[in-house]
Amino acid sequence: MNAPLLTVKNLRAGYGEMQVLYDLSLDVHPAEIVALVGSNGAGKTTLLRALSHLLPWQGDVRFDGHSLQSLSPNRLFALGMVQVPEGRQLFDRMSVEENLLLGTLAGTARDALRRNLERCYGLFPILAKRRKQLAGNMSGGEQQMCAVARALMSGPRLVMIDEMSLGLAPVAVDALLDTLRLVRTQGVTVLLVEQDVHSALHVADRAYVMESGRIVREGPASELADDPEVQRAYLGL
Amino acid sequence: MTSRTRRILLTLVLGLPLLAAVPWIASPVLVQFGINMLIMATLAQGWNIIGGYTGYSSFGNSVFFGLGAYGVGIAMAQFEQPFWIGLGLGLLLAVVFALAIGLPVLRLKGHYFAIATLGLAEVVTAIVSNVPIAGQNVGLVLPLLKSDVLFYELSLGLLLVATLVVFWLSRSRFGLALIAIRESEEAAAVMGVNATRYKILAFMLSAALTSLAGGVYAYYITFIDPAGAFDISLNVKMIIMAVFGGPGTVLGPVAGALLLSVLSEVLASKVTNIAGLFFGLVIIAAVVLMPRGLADLTQKFRRSGWRYFAQNIRDHRL
Repeated sequence: MNAPLLTVKNLRAGYGEMQVLYDLSLDVHPAEIVALVGSNGAGKTTLLRALSHLLPWQGDVRFDGHSLQSLSPNRLFALGMVQVPEGRQLFDRMSVEENLLLGTLAGTARDALRRNLERCYGLFPILAKRRKQLAGNMSGGEQQMCAVARALMSGPRLVMIDEMSLGLAPVAVDALLDTLRLVRTQGVTVLLVEQDVHSALHVADRAYVMESGRIVREGPASELADDPEVQRAYLGL
Repeated sequence: MTSRTRRILLTLVLGLPLLAAVPWIASPVLVQFGINMLIMATLAQGWNIIGGYTGYSSFGNSVFFGLGAYGVGIAMAQFEQPFWIGLGLGLLLAVVFALAIGLPVLRLKGHYFAIATLGLAEVVTAIVSNVPIAGQNVGLVLPLLKSDVLFYELSLGLLLVATLVVFWLSRSRFGLALIAIRESEEAAAVMGVNATRYKILAFMLSAALTSLAGGVYAYYITFIDPAGAFDISLNVKMIIMAVFGGPGTVLGPVAGALLLSVLSEVLASKVTNIAGLFFGLVIIAAVVLMPRGLADLTQKFRRSGWRYFAQNIRDHRL
């Protein structure tokens, strides 16, 4: 296997006095879909917040060989590490297209911009129909599509998606997961952080199971989905 | 997007010659009123960049105005330099001040930012009152240039520059980044917007335009003192006019400034004693009935008619 795109080694982070992540380690390889699953409060979102420097942290994290400790969020973005934050964080009072254009602020050339826009509309045809509509007036599923599309606008190498399926109709989740598979064939790596263990394990190649700030299990997603303990704890089987 | 652009350009092309012709046909009193009005409009437009587009309600813009005025005052009264040198000096003072103050203060959000900038005027007034070169408490007297037509056209030119800057902003990626920061700073940061840098640049741009207006005003009025130059009520006026017209739009603040200036002048001459009362009522009614300003009103009134006002009362959210 080629060198990992993202390596996290012994990551520790927390809020003030309270430590949330304990020596967490994981790898994400190029063009993989990796799921990070776990129940509420396991520290999944904290991990993503730490990776984008919204929280102080210690440890060794590398993206494509660059140490994250010395990179600002905008540098990271420029290097191709992009997040879809929890709760989508769309600009509700702006149109879909304006939202998408905002996904490429870190200095993309204009023709590349057009090309990326067309690519996103190709991935999510519904957004092309809604391009002039205010983002806040769309359904939850469409908003999530818009958020994922916005993250893809900069042509990233790694997209980290936080709780993509939260509050969405199953049909919308399926559509989004299909798109992620498609995006992966175009060479984009995906780190899917999910509470919806079932759908995450369904789409991912590999998965990590998180509990109280630690990785407790890892392996191919299909194996984890068959693991009796995982089934009992997370899938309600 | 294109129809909006066309409307803005059309307004500029039609409105500009009309406004430029005023001094040649109107009475001297009207020209003097016009100068004040145009300067106010420039200030509202300057505030629009940091307050309207970036969403940071600055109460520090009257300081930029004052620094611009003092730049001209010091250069002309103390060093007998030409006006343009003074304008440049004021611009430099204001932009450097915006950078130095912006670094700590733009970390604050919402009310905290407003309060922190509110203090700036007091601080700078106290400092300038003790600087000998700035004439301390007494102020500075500038050489007299008795040509209201010149000042009028100069103010108009400045307003045009300010409006073109905002027009460029509304179409540029820089402006888009500012809007992103206004709508959600965290989302902007996640998408690689260096929020600190953009906010400071917006603050500096706002300071530059505001200081130029201050410089022109100082030369026009020929006398400046600390209390007058750093008057916080001027800042309040900028905000009222920009918000009345439509913050975060290209022509809104200009329309707001022109309309409110005329209204306040008419009120002052018709019902002198209670003009303030009427003016206040107009502001309250405007905020309640059309919280997003004239720009939003003209856009939506055609579609929803009088229901527009009822809807705003119901919504009561900005």
